[in-house]
Amino acid sequence: MLIMKFPKKITKKSNKIDETDYGIYISKDINKNIARLKNDFGCSSDLEVTYFMFDNNKDFICANLYIESLVDRNIINDLSLEMAKLKYEYCNAKPDINSNIVISYFSRIRDSKEGSDYETLYADLLAGDTVFLIDGYNKFYTVDTNADEGRSVEEPTSQTVIRGPKEGFTEKINTNILLIRKRLKSRALRLEKLSIGNITKTTVCLMYIHDIAKDEIVQEMRKRLANIEIDGILEGWYIEELIKDDRHSIFPVFVSSEKPDSVVAALLEGKLAILIDGTPYVLTAPALMVEFLQASEDYYHHYIVASMMRVLRFITFFLTLLVPAIYIALTTFHQEIIPTPLLVSIAAQREGVPFPAIVEALIMEVAFEILREAGVRMPRAIGPAISIVGALVLGQAAVEAGIISAIMVIVVAITAISSFAIPYYEMSNAIRTMRFILMSLAAFLGLYGVFMGLIVMTLHLCKIKSMTVPYLTPIAPKIKGGNKDTIFRFPLWKMKYRPIGISGTDTARTHGHNPVSSDQKEKPELR
Amino acid sequence: MKKLLVILLMISLISLPGCWSGFEIDTLAIIIAMGIDKSEGGYFLTLQILNPSAIAAKEPSTAAPVVLYSEEGKDLKEIMRKIHEKSGRRIYSAHLQLVVFSEEIVEEGINDALDFFARFNEFRTDFYFIVAKGTTARNVLSILTPLHQIPGIKLHESLKNSEQLWAPTKSVRIVELVNAIVAEGKEPVLTGVEVTEEVANVKLPTKSLESLQKSEIENTTKYFGLGVFKEDKLIGWLNEEESKGYNYVIGNVNNTVGYINYGDKVKITGEVTNAKSVMKASLEEGKPAIDVVINMTLNVGAVEGEFDVSKEENIDIFNELAEKKIKLMCEKTVDKAQNEFNADIFGFGEVIRRKYPKLWKEIEDDWDNEFPDLPVNITVKAKTNQLGQITKPFFIKEKE
Repeated sequence: MLIMKFPKKITKKSNKIDETDYGIYISKDINKNIARLKNDFGCSSDLEVTYFMFDNNKDFICANLYIESLVDRNIINDLSLEMAKLKYEYCNAKPDINSNIVISYFSRIRDSKEGSDYETLYADLLAGDTVFLIDGYNKFYTVDTNADEGRSVEEPTSQTVIRGPKEGFTEKINTNILLIRKRLKSRALRLEKLSIGNITKTTVCLMYIHDIAKDEIVQEMRKRLANIEIDGILEGWYIEELIKDDRHSIFPVFVSSEKPDSVVAALLEGKLAILIDGTPYVLTAPALMVEFLQASEDYYHHYIVASMMRVLRFITFFLTLLVPAIYIALTTFHQEIIPTPLLVSIAAQREGVPFPAIVEALIMEVAFEILREAGVRMPRAIGPAISIVGALVLGQAAVEAGIISAIMVIVVAITAISSFAIPYYEMSNAIRTMRFILMSLAAFLGLYGVFMGLIVMTLHLCKIKSMTVPYLTPIAPKIKGGNKDTIFRFPLWKMKYRPIGISGTDTARTHGHNPVSSDQKEKPELR
Repeated sequence: MKKLLVILLMISLISLPGCWSGFEIDTLAIIIAMGIDKSEGGYFLTLQILNPSAIAAKEPSTAAPVVLYSEEGKDLKEIMRKIHEKSGRRIYSAHLQLVVFSEEIVEEGINDALDFFARFNEFRTDFYFIVAKGTTARNVLSILTPLHQIPGIKLHESLKNSEQLWAPTKSVRIVELVNAIVAEGKEPVLTGVEVTEEVANVKLPTKSLESLQKSEIENTTKYFGLGVFKEDKLIGWLNEEESKGYNYVIGNVNNTVGYINYGDKVKITGEVTNAKSVMKASLEEGKPAIDVVINMTLNVGAVEGEFDVSKEENIDIFNELAEKKIKLMCEKTVDKAQNEFNADIFGFGEVIRRKYPKLWKEIEDDWDNEFPDLPVNITVKAKTNQLGQITKPFFIKEKE
């Protein structure tokens, strides 16, 4: 056996080390190093240490260390083979094997890195690398043996499309970077890797396109990311919540997307992307209010169709926000503005309903929220049971029992459907909260209260910012010519500039030339 | 702590003064129509109140869709409140469709009653005023109607439709009514409503639901024509023909139908699709005169007898006859208003006042004496647009 475990007694002996030995850099004494490492990892059982010696120099010891659960077995086997080759090559060599020979050998092994301090060593070890320690040499080599376990690229579950790319991000940051790079073959694409989280050391990657992204925003983002101080980052929301401009605002100021194509589109608009290892959601910022009502599919259909869909989404925004509140306000305070035939019909339906409108609305809305929440959390297998209970109990039985009026069921249904038509779940959550506030205002003050609430909400929206950019940007502050992608989606050749206020120096998106017409006259009218 | 206090104060600011004007729909008694009769003490008020549970039922209900509550008293507002003794629900009058006055009330004057309708803020201003002719207002409201479940809405709709499609009625709202009473040189009109007996042998009056289960109706409410007012008092009635003439003169005809005879055998029906009138004042020897020009467009509705409407000369004949007929109709109405009632329901005085304000100042006080002698020249211009789906009648043979 050429490779064998080092006798136990040696490790035991050097387990006791002095406090004075705790330096930043590794020492030349391999036994000391290994003892220190074992001690630091608390003799963690998956820390694997393998020694190997050479026949022609029994005092010269090398060791490799890795964390068993993080490494790919196949690569480790390959590495062992390499070491065996090395041993065989040098078993009778003169002069005796020493550190120089091994070092020169390691520097030839694929993507090996050199390091000298403990912190790097720990980081590499925890990233799944194999660390080689050589006796009499105060540096170490690491070889990437990282096990590439994880989900493969699948269709996104939360943002589905009919037409358009169906690849979704995965939990692996490298795959996600690849998915973006694949779509954006530009050397101007910049990547900055950081590790955030005092304990988790999560890899976070800031991505932007040089010149297209605004420099001030990039610097601001860099500063904020660097200033994050927390034990761990498990999902993008941690970052969003920690670095958003207005911490208490309920409205999302980062778009979280599962789709590489929407991230690339955001990058092309001069936005920044933040990729977080371990989550398939990529954040893009600055995010504007209107962005949460735009779906990536808007750009994959004819502009008239897309504009229609978008107008519909704006309508659903107001429907889901206001329908229950306005229903309550009208039926309890302003019966005079309901058309008479409708009032007769509402009065007929409300006959015998034992609750006031607000209680009725709250019962139904809360019941719906419970259904929704239950549907999200429970195991997939019992999903249909919930919908049956929901449809029968809430829809039919409640009306037939005379507890809820039929029109209230319609109100809740239209609210619920509308809330699902909003492409981003974060936004529909925010609106849901606002809806309950407006409902209670409507119950107390009628339309007066509803509009007071709306005014306060609008003021708030005007106030908040996303990465220093005002949230309502092309609308308030109004940007002349900047509304080509707000409510209506203009044809691509009409959207000549990237969003003003977000993008950097390179603002031209297209020159608007028509590839079909033979007239190839240059029209340098870009600013 | 201070923040918490501010939030608490804000919540109480919203919640404490809130709710005071809120009423659930199922606690309201929604008034659809209101009838005002005269009683010894003052008014006899009848409210037609919606009965939601009768409408809510999926199966044909045995309960009537409306309930009538009546109460006597001196003051309308007082009676409205007094009715709470009976109704059990809060009387809610924003959806009032219609106010029916009895003839007795309007003959005495409605100024006092109108103040209540103009002042009370719960009323919208879109309900119509009508006068019950030959019956009590309560009787009018007690008739159930088959096509519209709610009689008050039926009366409202049929007044609107008969004005738009048939022309001898006029929907008058509070603002228009008050303006006509107050204006100098203009008198109001109100449409009359009667209770008719559709079938001669009345066994079941349409006051019970069983009678609605048949397609024949024993009696129903029907509009009659216009009641002519002098100030706020009713002084007489125009019949259907005269009411139409009135609407032609003031330009209130949207769409109506009439026929003319040509010779003995030919009868042509014309559908008026548009009739505009222009009233102009002029001076004839220092005395005011009125010119009314009525422009109307016609469609041929039906032709009886041998008359080829596809020929241009025949259309000219048709136009001429129509002009004559409308002119006669209008002149009769004007004549009746001038000589029988001496009430300037057309607003001729208003036209003169606008054009000759100084002259009006002189004759204003003496308008009652001047009006009957006011020369009114009526010119009618008719134009035929369409002949309908066919051109000439089927039965005219082609003359080769």
